Amino acid sequence: MRVALLALLLATPALADTAAVVTDHARPGFAAFAEAAQSLADLDTCDPATLRPAFHAAYDAWMAVDHLRLGPAEEDGRGLAVLFWPDPKGAGWKAQRALLAAPPTAEAMAQQSVAARGLPALERLLYPAETLPTDPCPLIRATADDLAATASRLAADWGPFGALMLGAGAPDNPRFLKPDEATQALFTQLATGLEALADRRIGRPLASLDKPRPDLAEAHASGRSIRNIALSLAALKQLALTLNPDSPRSLAAFDQALALAQGLDPDIDRIADPQAWLKLEILQQAVRQTRDTVLAELGPALGVELGFNAQDGD
Amino acid sequence: MRRRAFLATLAASLAPRLTWADIGAPAFLAAGKAGEAYVLHGLSAAGTSLFRVALPGRGHAAAAHPVRAEAVAFARRPGTFALVIDCATGTTRHRLTPPDGMQFNGHGAFSADGTLLMTSEVVAETSEGRIGLWNTQGYTRLTDWPSHGIGPHEIRRLPDGRLAVANGGIRTDPVDRTKLNIPDMAPNLTLLAEDGALLDQIDLPDLRQNSIRHLALSGSAIAFAMQWEGDPAEPVPQLGLWTPGTAPLLCAPPEAEAFTMQGYAGSIAATRDRVLITSPKGGALMLFDAKGRHIATHHRADLCGAASTEGTFTVTDGSGAVWTADDTGLTPLARADTRWDNHLVALG
Repeated sequence: MRVALLALLLATPALADTAAVVTDHARPGFAAFAEAAQSLADLDTCDPATLRPAFHAAYDAWMAVDHLRLGPAEEDGRGLAVLFWPDPKGAGWKAQRALLAAPPTAEAMAQQSVAARGLPALERLLYPAETLPTDPCPLIRATADDLAATASRLAADWGPFGALMLGAGAPDNPRFLKPDEATQALFTQLATGLEALADRRIGRPLASLDKPRPDLAEAHASGRSIRNIALSLAALKQLALTLNPDSPRSLAAFDQALALAQGLDPDIDRIADPQAWLKLEILQQAVRQTRDTVLAELGPALGVELGFNAQDGD
Repeated sequence: MRRRAFLATLAASLAPRLTWADIGAPAFLAAGKAGEAYVLHGLSAAGTSLFRVALPGRGHAAAAHPVRAEAVAFARRPGTFALVIDCATGTTRHRLTPPDGMQFNGHGAFSADGTLLMTSEVVAETSEGRIGLWNTQGYTRLTDWPSHGIGPHEIRRLPDGRLAVANGGIRTDPVDRTKLNIPDMAPNLTLLAEDGALLDQIDLPDLRQNSIRHLALSGSAIAFAMQWEGDPAEPVPQLGLWTPGTAPLLCAPPEAEAFTMQGYAGSIAATRDRVLITSPKGGALMLFDAKGRHIATHHRADLCGAASTEGTFTVTDGSGAVWTADDTGLTPLARADTRWDNHLVALG
């Protein structure tokens, strides 16, 4: 009996770890984000100084799950409704200016452009770049309430979606036909999360040595850009180690990148200085190296690869 | 002995070639990878394999002869050969090589009577487009026409014999496929007469970095699928509909799904009232109506191949599943250990 059980465990090493991602990483992560967003919405004030710490707590909580863009975050654009970034044409602020004049209710907020919702929208109201034309209080309240509602739906939907992942390969499972398809889906999130970190969070402000663009960084106004880079890296490390705890090379690559991130000046505007710019670029290379290491180590260990067609279009 | 061999050859050449009906009437052709082997399968309408033949390397798309059980398998770009495969025996009947300095570019199409094969080609050094013409009697090269653009990819024959050409606009390195002209690329969609004369052409002046790559026929409209080479943060449509003689209609999904396809459509198929595009990068497909309005989005990792038969959509993915898709969702049809490659080709 014990031998049979052991054989079963050995035969399906990846499944237990996929289950751990659902139960120990995704579900608690989204629940914590929902709680933080609700705490922000519950504050009975529009004073930016009072709201800012709760805004940061909600953003921190989001960073722990930002990379999980499959399932609930795909539905109705909810991932975008939490974090619409990058926004190179300033679509969010354009839409918000119109809303400032005629603030919607929290319910009506859900029907507005995703660019005008979520964390960047709140940031523009709590850290305004210019004097706001009207009292932002009603729009702050509607945006915070809408964010809390979105976060709550995301957390709730991870119940049934997590069940689909846990039941991958079951006869009636329409989403994951084979047990390893759920593992592959999480492995893909890990790889694309590392790509997004290198190409977008680091790459967009980095631009070029001649012309750095710190103003294009995520959460620039609230001074979170470097913090978000480090939090994203930490969250991706947690996903990797939950998927496959025994990954020494990946762990070393993550730790090296994290050490580089912790050595950065927390003010991203400093990358206007070539020395600081180079330090950020070295981190970008380390993140790309981490992705390569993770693919080489975790892929074979989990018995999955990135998508056959997704990797190689034509 | 020599006489016997000669007679055997003669008998083989005179033997009536088998038709698709003779080998089980497959509904689709699909290339894929099983283990380390590259294969081409004939699939039934239910998605099950009716036959499989080995390919020497990774295939991209296939073109099916309208009558004979004969498929032309195109290598991936830049292609230096295409194989004419006898699907009854699995043997290679002809190996097509483009003229010196030319390369195949992924797709081909037969004339309605099956006497001509047309192939999308580029001049290797410049990526200037050509349509190669082959006589299917012995697969001899006849001539080629200009495609009137750079980097033609999919070509599709209209029922009346005209040919639609997706000139993707991307100049590539002849050896390693590096894209060389992204800042000033200019794709177009071209309509050629049956004799190769230029009939009509549209381009996308405001979306020059949206490469027009794949085509499907939707009533009198040509549906075209695009791949965005510009800033990934810009929301752009992946689908367009063009009725020759009118301006093209670009079909964007709702704002909340503007990035679902990751700027990339891998295949396109159409029925009379729906157009379907797939995105393996986004792990999704989208359905639009014939007026270009978004109807539905369904999620599934690595979806790419797409085809329509008798008003029904069939799609394939990179983990071996064949699905049917409608407005309400995806339903699994069949599963295989073959990772299905980019395209699913409908016969008939």
